[in-house]
Amino acid sequence: MVETGIALAPPARSRGFNARAWAAHLFTFAFLAVWELASLVAPSYLLPGPVPVAQRLWVFVTSARDLGHLGASLFHVGIAIAISFMIGSLLALIPYYVPVLRFAIERRIGPFLNAFSAIGWTLLSIMWFGVTPFTVVFAISAVLVPFALVNMTAGLNNIDAETIEMAGSFTRRRWRMFALVIVPSLYPFIFATLRIMFGVAWKVTLTAELFGGNSGLGYMINLARQEFDTATIFAAIILIIAFVHGMDRYVLGPLQQSVSRHYAG
Amino acid sequence: MPAEATSTRGAIAERLIGEGVVVLALVAWWLAARGLPEFILPGPVAVGRRLVELFVTPEFLFHMAASAWRVLVAIAAAMLIGGGLAFLAWGQPWLETVVEDRIKPVLNSFPSIGWAILAAIWFDPGDFGVIFVEVAILIPFCLINIAEGLRNIDRELMEMGRSFTRHRARILFRLTLPLLVPYGLSATRIAYGIAWKIALVAELLGAPSGLGYLMLRAQTAADSTTFLATCFAIVLIFVAGERLVIVPLERRFARR
Repeated sequence: MVETGIALAPPARSRGFNARAWAAHLFTFAFLAVWELASLVAPSYLLPGPVPVAQRLWVFVTSARDLGHLGASLFHVGIAIAISFMIGSLLALIPYYVPVLRFAIERRIGPFLNAFSAIGWTLLSIMWFGVTPFTVVFAISAVLVPFALVNMTAGLNNIDAETIEMAGSFTRRRWRMFALVIVPSLYPFIFATLRIMFGVAWKVTLTAELFGGNSGLGYMINLARQEFDTATIFAAIILIIAFVHGMDRYVLGPLQQSVSRHYAG
Repeated sequence: MPAEATSTRGAIAERLIGEGVVVLALVAWWLAARGLPEFILPGPVAVGRRLVELFVTPEFLFHMAASAWRVLVAIAAAMLIGGGLAFLAWGQPWLETVVEDRIKPVLNSFPSIGWAILAAIWFDPGDFGVIFVEVAILIPFCLINIAEGLRNIDRELMEMGRSFTRHRARILFRLTLPLLVPYGLSATRIAYGIAWKIALVAELLGAPSGLGYLMLRAQTAADSTTFLATCFAIVLIFVAGERLVIVPLERRFARR
């Protein structure tokens, strides 16, 4: 058995790429076929077939109102990432400059924020602020802050002490040192943090919009759910998967790689 | 000696400030709550009393047990399915692109509320729907971690194992699985966190019990005291599970 395995391995590898790509396409095709068959059996409010969903998707990307909801979701995610990144980084910087506060932030505030559930924040912000875009942004930001805090703390702990010492021998101005040495050596961590936050934000955004928003894809899904318009729900989900995966794979991933190659050297 | 003394004094100061921040937050909460109606922000005393009540009433314990049971089953199932997918991609190279480029990205980018709504449409309210949603949300985290572990397995060790035995099961149990333990633990830890923080959304739609259901009910009834107490109960349960189960396990199987 072992011998044949070794003998067969090289030709399989030379052919491998093609066979793997075929396997992936075959899988996609088989998945669509099973979906189509299942949709023939099930009623359309339970499982619409691939064709109606594709049609709905086309309507989606050509309708200004639907694209407006996508834009609203993007807006919520963008603002929330910006706010929570600022708060999380500030919280991470405090123990770096005032070490006596390390216990307070890393053992008390951090774990508390980290353990508080996303639904808790969502429903709490609805009670406090009502159904507005601010509610959505608040809920997403509250969920994202611990991610920024943990990752930026790791980045700050990872800064080379010798580099700081060298910088200290060149200048005594703390601000100059911060802008010219500390921030650049954090770049790889900043991008990794933003990438993680982008992924998590989308997991929470729709929930927040569904319960506390009056715009966005989550709100749209909620309306579709009340009308048993399952095709719209599927179209929205597919759009989000394509968008999140596309951004991560073709924008954030390459960006992060080039940044860490440039600065980690 | 003096340096040590200052460092102990520093540690005590750090600790005092740390607990001081907690006290300060409670005082700020108490002051803020005094000027606000109870349905917006109840005071810390009322919430604390309700929190204690929650942990002794059978009804709450029932909801807690329902949630905890679902979370545990979901983590086990997600580890099995996610780990199984990772093993498939690892053992059958032609399936690697199927798992890496098709299944993983879709599951990883699938919005959690999307699963919750689909489950609410497809299944009757109950345990099965909730566990389905939680498993679907947790699978990508388990899959990514275990695939990472399999990628990092030392090929030389596997070769050595193969030179000792040809039983595949024996290699699996004596070599592959022990090498995967640290990755499995970190997958469990992440899945545990996500399950309590995000996957509880499954209980908002289509569940007749559980902490998520309790929170939604309290919120719709504008019963902020119970709502906040439930939020803090989740924090306590989450931290207790991590400190009492996951951290000791990690210490035991720490990467050597």
